[in-house]
Amino acid sequence: MSTAPAGPQLELRGVTKRFGGVAAVDGVNFEIAKGDIVGIIGPNGAGKTTLLNCISGVYHLDGGDIKLNGSSIAGMAPHRVARLGIGRTFQIVKPFGSMTARENVGIGALFGSAHARRGVKQAFALADEVLALVGLKAKADLPVSALTIPDRKRLEVARAVATRPQLLLLDEVMAGLNNVEIDEALEMVRSVHATGVTVLLIEHVMRVIVGVCRRAIVLDSGQVLAQGEPEVVLRDERVIQAYLGERYAKRLKSS
Amino acid sequence: MIGTAASNRRWRRIFLIVGAILAAYALLAPLTSLEAAQSANIPLLADKLWFRIATIIAMFAVMATAWNIIGGITGYAAFGNVAFFGIGAYTTGMLIAKAKWPFLLALPLAPIVAAAFAALVGLPLLRLRGHYFAVASLGVGVAVGELVQNIDYGGQPVFGGASGLFLPILRIDNRGLAFFYLMSAAAVFSIAVTWWVLRSRFGYGLIAIRENEEAASVLGVNTTAYKVAAFALAAALTGLAGGIFSQWNVFINQENVFPIEYNVQMILMALLGGTGTVFGPAAGAILLQLLIQFLGGTLPISFDLPFVSSDARPIVAQVILGLLLVVVVIFVPRGVIDFFGGRTRLSLSYLRRSLRETSL
Ligand SMILES: Nc1ncnc2c1ncn2[C@@H]1O[C@H](COP(=O)(O)OP(=O)(O)OP(=O)(O)O)[C@@H](O)[C@H]1O
Ligand SMILES: [Mg+2]
Repeated sequence: MSTAPAGPQLELRGVTKRFGGVAAVDGVNFEIAKGDIVGIIGPNGAGKTTLLNCISGVYHLDGGDIKLNGSSIAGMAPHRVARLGIGRTFQIVKPFGSMTARENVGIGALFGSAHARRGVKQAFALADEVLALVGLKAKADLPVSALTIPDRKRLEVARAVATRPQLLLLDEVMAGLNNVEIDEALEMVRSVHATGVTVLLIEHVMRVIVGVCRRAIVLDSGQVLAQGEPEVVLRDERVIQAYLGERYAKRLKSS
Repeated sequence: MIGTAASNRRWRRIFLIVGAILAAYALLAPLTSLEAAQSANIPLLADKLWFRIATIIAMFAVMATAWNIIGGITGYAAFGNVAFFGIGAYTTGMLIAKAKWPFLLALPLAPIVAAAFAALVGLPLLRLRGHYFAVASLGVGVAVGELVQNIDYGGQPVFGGASGLFLPILRIDNRGLAFFYLMSAAAVFSIAVTWWVLRSRFGYGLIAIRENEEAASVLGVNTTAYKVAAFALAAALTGLAGGIFSQWNVFINQENVFPIEYNVQMILMALLGGTGTVFGPAAGAILLQLLIQFLGGTLPISFDLPFVSSDARPIVAQVILGLLLVVVVIFVPRGVIDFFGGRTRLSLSYLRRSLRETSL
């Protein structure tokens, strides 16, 4: 990567997205510094996935602006956003069903960031590296249908990582995993972050947010309710009670 | 790849060698001229009618292989590709008949015009999903044929109107042979293009679009551009076949270059042979075209269908083709090419598995 400009890597100003008059994302402002690792939390339907779709260009904004390294990416098609170096996963995984794990990741490597343009052969070599990074090396030649749910989540991350993003958006990649699998996934996210990628991850699992994030943003009803250090934000009685529910409040107190 | 790689490779090699020998025989035997073939008593190819049938088979091999690029590899079921065949035929036909261009100069314009037209209609059409695209493309296919027949300018039909378009006959020796070679070359070219596509970045992008368009786009695939390019490429190859057909057949009209049934036939050929594969659609074209000719009673080896009068024959043929479509889609979803990889064998369990795959 070339010279990193001063100022935030990602900047959201008044980002708004409505579905039939209802604002799923409502005037969201925040900034993410290069190299940071930030968590987004919030109850079901808070607008987390919608926000991610806004950043990655899947949705057109109804208001506000999104800047990457100081220039606006609002209104750009998803493939252009991807080429600028924003990679993402889908909460409900969307693998290429007829392909092997290696081919899935190869697509990310073949396309992805413009600065990392490469031929078919090099792309598959990179795919193998990324598969090793996420712990799928032994399953590279398996078709998607032969992969377990945790492995499909890994594959989803691997595909996005193979695009060589400067910013990686992860949408609940640990949902539905057991404790051991979460630990493995945490290790995976840490090792991706260690390669210099900025990470923005949506999670319901508090352990994940506290474990890896330097900063947490709490979203509710499409609005930013609080942001700051995870420990501080998560112990904010108001946040716990009102927005994360009793279940989380109890679990957090006992931990 | 799934299955044991070694036996897989061995079977593929055997398949390729046998295929190459057959192709070489078909292509080289007539070189010695029709008369030589007759005197040497080389079976099949010594017959003029077989020659014509072989050319038609090659023509459908081009169309099915081309359809596979948009329908099989990209996953957009185009139902109106015959429009490109007709556009190619009329482009070359008009340039030869009206502008007096030589054939070899007029031919390259057929794929170019067909591709340009496909890009134009593809931009809005390819924004439609699944069934909507299929229906809309069928509409385009029908509309183009009607337009070509009915456009008048100053009281004169521009494209020959209902009475069609006559081209001067190409004055060369062994005309039939030359066109058989030309059409076969177009088929080989289409297969080579498919082979290249499936190994290229372009092809990987197309398959990604077929498997999950949204995921493809967030990974950086310019889905609109890729879909339009695939559609235009399919149109170019189909148009090329049309261009060759116009000079070969010497007469073109709405009926012989815009037949709606070609739309179904080319898709059926690709399905029968194996969509998304390199050789499948061409193999399907050979099998199905032979069957069509057989049922239609035009094969030299043809015989009467039991209990079917000659009047009812075309109807019975259509019914059989329709049934075949249903059977293929349900029981052989990956096409007959599947049986040549050494991976699968046609068996009861194969059919049962297919049924499970294609049912809800
Ligand atoms: N495509 C859509 N059309 C209409 N409404 C939508 C659409 N996508 C999301 N919504 C609505 O927008 C709101 C925010 O949904 P979103 O999926 O962003 O929530 P989320 O925070 O990701 O929730 P979860 O934790 O369940 O994943 C919800 O009320 C949802 O019903
Ligand atoms: Mg969500």
